[in-house]
Amino acid sequence: MNKRWLKLAAVPVALSFIAAACGSDSSSSSDSTSQNTTAAGEGGDFGGVTVTITGPERDDPSIAAINDTLNAWGETVNLKVEYTGDADWEANINTQVEGGNPPDISFFPQPGKLADFARAGYIVPVTDEVNTTLDEFWADGFQKYGNVDDVQYGVPAKTDLKSLVWYQPQAFADAGYEVPTTYDDFVALVDQMAADGGPKPLCVGIESGQATGWTFTDWVEDMVLRQAGADVYDQWVNHEIPFDDPQIVTAMQTVVDLWTPENVFAAGGSIAATNFADNGQPLVDGQCYMHRQANFFAGLFPEGTTFADPSDPTAVDVFYFPDINGDKPVLTAGIFASAFNDDPATMAVMNYIATADYAQTRQKNQTEAVGGGLSGYLSAAMNQDPAVYQPLEQSFLTILNASQIARFDGSDLMPADVGAGTFWSEGTSLVNGDTTAADAAAAIEASWPK
Amino acid sequence: METLERTGADEGAPDQPAASAGGTAPGAGRPTELYVKIAGGFVLALGVLYWAVVEEKIRSTLLTVIIAVAASAGIWIGANLLFNQVRGRWQMFNTIAFAVVGAVLGIVLHGNLVTIGSGNGFLTWVIGPLAGAAAFGGLGFALAQTDDPSKRRAIALGSSIAIGLVIGAVIRDAYQPGLDPVAIVVYTLVGIAVGAGLSLLLKHPPLGGALIGAALGWVLGAWGAADLGDGSIGTSIIAALVPAVLIGLRLGMTKNPDYKARVAIDNRSRAVIFIGPALAFISVMLVIPAIRTAYLSLLNKDSVDFVGLDNYKAVFDDKNSLDLTNWTNMFTSVPFILGVILLAVAVVVGVSMQKRTGRAVEIGNPTVAPLVVGLLFVCFGAFTAMRGTLINNLWWVVVVTFVSTAMGLAIAVLADQRGGERVAKSIIFMPMAISLVGASVIWRFVYTARDTSTEQTGVMNALWIGLGRLSTGSGLPTIIATIFLVLVLVGLFMVLARMLVRYGPGRAVVPGILIVLVGWLFIRFTGIVGGGVGGFQTLPDGSVGGQTVFFVQETPYNNFWLMVIMIWIQTGFSMVILSAAIKAVPTELIEAAKIDGATTSQVFWRVTLPQIATTIGVVVTTLIVGVMKVFDIVKVTTNGQFGSQVLANQMFAEAFSFQNKGKGAALAMLIFVAVLPVMIYNIRRMQRES
Repeated sequence: MNKRWLKLAAVPVALSFIAAACGSDSSSSSDSTSQNTTAAGEGGDFGGVTVTITGPERDDPSIAAINDTLNAWGETVNLKVEYTGDADWEANINTQVEGGNPPDISFFPQPGKLADFARAGYIVPVTDEVNTTLDEFWADGFQKYGNVDDVQYGVPAKTDLKSLVWYQPQAFADAGYEVPTTYDDFVALVDQMAADGGPKPLCVGIESGQATGWTFTDWVEDMVLRQAGADVYDQWVNHEIPFDDPQIVTAMQTVVDLWTPENVFAAGGSIAATNFADNGQPLVDGQCYMHRQANFFAGLFPEGTTFADPSDPTAVDVFYFPDINGDKPVLTAGIFASAFNDDPATMAVMNYIATADYAQTRQKNQTEAVGGGLSGYLSAAMNQDPAVYQPLEQSFLTILNASQIARFDGSDLMPADVGAGTFWSEGTSLVNGDTTAADAAAAIEASWPK
Repeated sequence: METLERTGADEGAPDQPAASAGGTAPGAGRPTELYVKIAGGFVLALGVLYWAVVEEKIRSTLLTVIIAVAASAGIWIGANLLFNQVRGRWQMFNTIAFAVVGAVLGIVLHGNLVTIGSGNGFLTWVIGPLAGAAAFGGLGFALAQTDDPSKRRAIALGSSIAIGLVIGAVIRDAYQPGLDPVAIVVYTLVGIAVGAGLSLLLKHPPLGGALIGAALGWVLGAWGAADLGDGSIGTSIIAALVPAVLIGLRLGMTKNPDYKARVAIDNRSRAVIFIGPALAFISVMLVIPAIRTAYLSLLNKDSVDFVGLDNYKAVFDDKNSLDLTNWTNMFTSVPFILGVILLAVAVVVGVSMQKRTGRAVEIGNPTVAPLVVGLLFVCFGAFTAMRGTLINNLWWVVVVTFVSTAMGLAIAVLADQRGGERVAKSIIFMPMAISLVGASVIWRFVYTARDTSTEQTGVMNALWIGLGRLSTGSGLPTIIATIFLVLVLVGLFMVLARMLVRYGPGRAVVPGILIVLVGWLFIRFTGIVGGGVGGFQTLPDGSVGGQTVFFVQETPYNNFWLMVIMIWIQTGFSMVILSAAIKAVPTELIEAAKIDGATTSQVFWRVTLPQIATTIGVVVTTLIVGVMKVFDIVKVTTNGQFGSQVLANQMFAEAFSFQNKGKGAALAMLIFVAVLPVMIYNIRRMQRES
């Protein structure tokens, strides 16, 4: 008799396990919320709650530096921080939000997406306290990309400078090349290098897994900024002029014209097949002279590479990607932290991320994590201790702070359909020779959400 | 944890010899085994408990599981016990069943905070359900008491009026509906139509179904379509009373079932109790989401505005979904031309077969091979010229399904009852154990290309460039390879001659084809035509360098290289199923055919193949459904770039990356509709078989 009931019970037991498995997430998350609420009035002590953060930075030094920095501060106010780097952050954050299971804070590399989330009501504005901290440590030019319809949602957590060209000064000296100061000089230098028949002028690779194509968009943005100017750039990014405007098509064409097999060394055989991170090794190995990439690329050079060190012939340095009209524009990017709830603990973490202390502590931790040299991290927060940055990183900050025209990476400001969709895919097709610049631009324009 | 495991091992070890010694005397080993089990269970329980005490999350999960198990088991056992009463104690059953419905209604009403005073735990969980149970239980008891139709009508109507009045009166202000007569009338009429229709379909009198349908329609119209909070106590009473009365009328029409009917209820109830949970899960997890997806596909990006079929139109208008501009290119593509040649061969062979056997195409005759392969090649050529997501999906379905099935069948047949069959089949089945994502990562490495100045790290490119080096070189390896090719060719010619002399032209087909293939390779290898074979290129300075193939990046053939990954995995599947089917063919049939003088190939084509035709159908339909939904491989290798987009990946990108819910849902519906005929075919075949 017992046995029979046992068998009868087997099915509901199995079903309820499934139900329990489905349900456990929600119950535990509601637990943490209730804990957060109880901690509300206690000021500097959050009762050991955990604040979860997700973000697209997933290299070990960054993950370690973020976790160490936030947790070291968290100990002083008795809270824990868990940062998870997600390779597929762009898609997964949507899934998490749709599923009602977002992290407490997420790092947004794309202000466009942050704005979408803000308008959809997924993320919450920062508190007045955080706003005050922001005003203390951040210039308006950097705050504004975390601002949606005059409400501040994002806190800058990282700054990237994109208009840089990496090179080996010794290799230039050996071949008798000069660092170009105008774009014409740059093109002339590329032609000269190609004609000399030694290493190729440029290393280029646009493969990046599911984000293949973003390197191309950066080049195009830098080119639009140089050829057409900042006003056209703003109109383009805000879709006040169509994507297939002749000025944009010209910029795209200029880039692919530069990327000829004579000019480019592609470690993966073709530009579209070369991972963007695979360009450091060939530069150091002397297979190419130059690589245009943002400051974070320092972390992608082979281990043991030295930077801006005149005593080392293999040292790598950067120069500013030269301009055309003499207005010295820079293309920047960055990461903004934004919160999915306004629990006091969450907002305390947001507030800390906005401070110079976070920036310099993370810089220190990340420098240690990569074993000295360039950390790959950069923050334009004011009042940082400059000593935490290496000489080269200080020169990044000098370029960044001196520039009159700084524009945020356009593909990150456009709607995801374009900025993380067709601009990447059509750009990749263009680079791969499967389409023309005009057709690619027209296809991207057609995909712009109405 | 480590110490716990060790304890378990220590306790288990001394028992081992005892257990093996017990094996000699039957039955003696059982208590020992039992001790081992008890000890193991004890250790396991200790471990879980220890874990639960340490980890708050585990503790709460454990608690949830225990409560869920207890509740489910309680409902399960309770339902079985309840329906045990149907045969003997109808009155008791009726009372309890009605009371349960009433209690559930009480919990739902109070639990959702729609009644006055709800939100109070005691009211919600004790008084509410008890009141519901009492009211409904009383009705059930009274109905079971009498068989007189007029009395039953009075009881049912009276009780339902009372219940409707009470429910209407206790609704909170915030939930009192502002009545919309149009909505009520429309929903009620629809409800009547649906209810009556369903009743007619089930061959019941339509009035009963119409009443229930009207009640549900009224509830939907009065509560669902209304602005809650706009009404008064009067409107909520109207909204609650009318459906209650309708259901009361329906109840009044029923009779107490006689013994025969009760036995039928008892028997049927078991099926419902067993299948009910599964059905509930399927409808919650599958049916409702499917209907919702269909609905969302008619709405815009944010699922707010109704846009009709615009999302579907957008999919078909998109050049990336369907691009036929270059369709004429297919006439110049190599696979298409090869396919046409093969089809021509099939026609010639068909005509000769027509003369000899009276049938041009027949399973097992020589027309089939060139016909099928020719068609495959023609499709392949067409798909390389017509581009787009939809075409890619079709291409995947045709190639992967055909190649996987054909190769699986070939391996199953060739390995059957030969030495090393198990080892060979295990190895071929092995990729099935690798996830699609894992396989894609592996193959991405296989396909990797590097700049030709460096060593190739991808196997395919290394081989291809190596072949190029051999072919264009002049060293010893090249000479050896050439001699080897010559020897193979000579051997093939000898076989051909022997076949021609001994058996006539029919048997010479296979060596003939091989000679053409190897001969072509030889001509290309030695550079008589085209300067050599493999990955090489002549550089501007006249020297010869390597040339890589971009397996993943080069449109349109990258699609095929991605399909290879799927084929690699799925061949094992079709091989295992088909091999089992071949082994199930009765040996008597094969022996009989052999005694009648059939050759091995005749046995295969005329006896084995017809016997396993249904299994081939199963394999093919399963593959089609699986391949239609292909996602992981494309996501990992190209993410749809380089002209390799497929429906499922596009759906994911639209719905989750670009937040375009409407278009994502439309793409999901397209996949669903495409898979549907195959599913229907599969289900119908299964029904026919049973």
